[in-house]
Amino acid sequence: MILLDRVTKTYSKSSSPALDRVSLFIEPREFVILVGTSGAGKSTLFKLLTREEKPTSGKIVVGGIDYDSLKDSNIPMLRRKIGVVFQDFKLLPQRTVFENIAFALEIAGMTRREIKSTVPKVIELVGLTGKEKHFPHQLAGGERQRVAIARAVVRQPKILIADEPTGNLDPRHSWDIIRLLEKINKYGTTVLLTTHNAEIVNKLKRRVITLDHGKITGDQAVGSYRQGGGL
Amino acid sequence: MSTKKKTDHKALSNKKHNKRRMLTFWRVIRYGTDSFIRNSWLSVAATAVMTITLLIIFTAFATQNILTDTVNDIQSKVNMSIYLKTDTQNNVVTDLTNDLKQLSSVKTIHVISADDARTQFAKSNSSDAETLSALNAATNKFPVTLQIEVNNINDTSQLEKFVADNALLKKNIDPNHAPSFAGEKRNTIKSIGRAVNFAQVVGVGAGIIFVIISSLIIFNTIRMAIFNRREEIQMMKLIGADQSFIRGPFLVEAIIYGIIAAFISTGIGVWVLFATSNTLSSYQISVHDTINLVTIYSPFVILGMISIGALIGIVSSLLATRRYLKL
Repeated sequence: MILLDRVTKTYSKSSSPALDRVSLFIEPREFVILVGTSGAGKSTLFKLLTREEKPTSGKIVVGGIDYDSLKDSNIPMLRRKIGVVFQDFKLLPQRTVFENIAFALEIAGMTRREIKSTVPKVIELVGLTGKEKHFPHQLAGGERQRVAIARAVVRQPKILIADEPTGNLDPRHSWDIIRLLEKINKYGTTVLLTTHNAEIVNKLKRRVITLDHGKITGDQAVGSYRQGGGL
Repeated sequence: MSTKKKTDHKALSNKKHNKRRMLTFWRVIRYGTDSFIRNSWLSVAATAVMTITLLIIFTAFATQNILTDTVNDIQSKVNMSIYLKTDTQNNVVTDLTNDLKQLSSVKTIHVISADDARTQFAKSNSSDAETLSALNAATNKFPVTLQIEVNNINDTSQLEKFVADNALLKKNIDPNHAPSFAGEKRNTIKSIGRAVNFAQVVGVGAGIIFVIISSLIIFNTIRMAIFNRREEIQMMKLIGADQSFIRGPFLVEAIIYGIIAAFISTGIGVWVLFATSNTLSSYQISVHDTINLVTIYSPFVILGMISIGALIGIVSSLLATRRYLKL
């Protein structure tokens, strides 16, 4: 589903690479946790996957799409196949819950009828039924992140990238979000999650990839990451 | 059979594609109008700045027009006069008039006979008994006057040459009244001409500078508005919106600013013209032609203002969104 082959990314103003010959393969339907300290290269990896940045060298293939042969005009199409969730939610502040989720379908050219039948189902999935007409500022942090997740999954992407989705949430809401991501993964979506939260990493018992100074220093299979606070 | 199926499939696919494009087009308009309404303070600020911009443009246009009309008016009032002896025969006057009409610098000629000049003088002094009695007692008579309107008051050389060289004129010219473009009067006329040219150049120059400055102001206002929403743009990009879908609503908003601002600024501009017309007219400033122009052609004026406003808004939005739309 996701293949990185000796990917290096060096920013023009930096002497050392943000990612250094990183090779990685993630199977379809996997739930992978990416950990690492600030500056380890997690954000750069996400930017490469969403094609916000181009690698300096190496090969990236996501969902069968080879980024080397991807034209700039096809980047929006690629992004519609990947769901993204951010730490700061990135919702449209002037739009309601329904409109924020519908936006992802509208840009893909779906009809009003399709949107009206799809969005309520996703709202129900994330547990926000009854809050369709609320604006983001009327919601709690956890609820906003649910809206962001709903928007990310409403097009039923094969891959969901969640960049520190619990970073701004309290423990209870953090676990709600993690359970939601697990549910989405159960339905067949590959989930790539970054987090600083050791408790979440350890309790989830999923594959854990550790990045440090742009290099993969650990890639542990499901359930093997058990030591507490080991980040 | 298979070819027909393929053709049908292609037609259906094209139909779907066009339907989606129309759907996207209407959605872009809806997003733009929604944003305009929901970001009300930003919309009010941007529309106000756009109104000021268009008002400056309207003022520059109206001022230039009023200035041109006023100087044309002054020019038409500045006649060159050649004075002939009182007893000049009509056929001589006609010959001289015909000769003068041949000159390219001459626009119109108006002949005032000695009797007409006397009648006019008497009429204009009808309330002054002393002047009238002096007029009746006077033995000296009024000259025949050739009032000449020239195309360009700065160019009297052709007329001067005519006065100097024309034998018939030399024989009949009034020795007591020199032609009015000679001496001090000529200098006055020439200085009016220079003032006219200067005012027109300054008017056009000032108009262009005002338009540039006001366009920069509205550009910066729209750029600030878009800067405030850069994260929204970033998010739209990351969830797969293409450039036209992101940019479109901003362009729609800019066009709405332009439309509203065009109506407000034209309304204010026309109102000011009407309100000041009497005062301006009392200073011999020709404002009525401009008022007529903007009222008779009001749909075109509004359309022109909308076009200018929308153009400035669209260009500003395109430039401002460009930096945030890099993939």
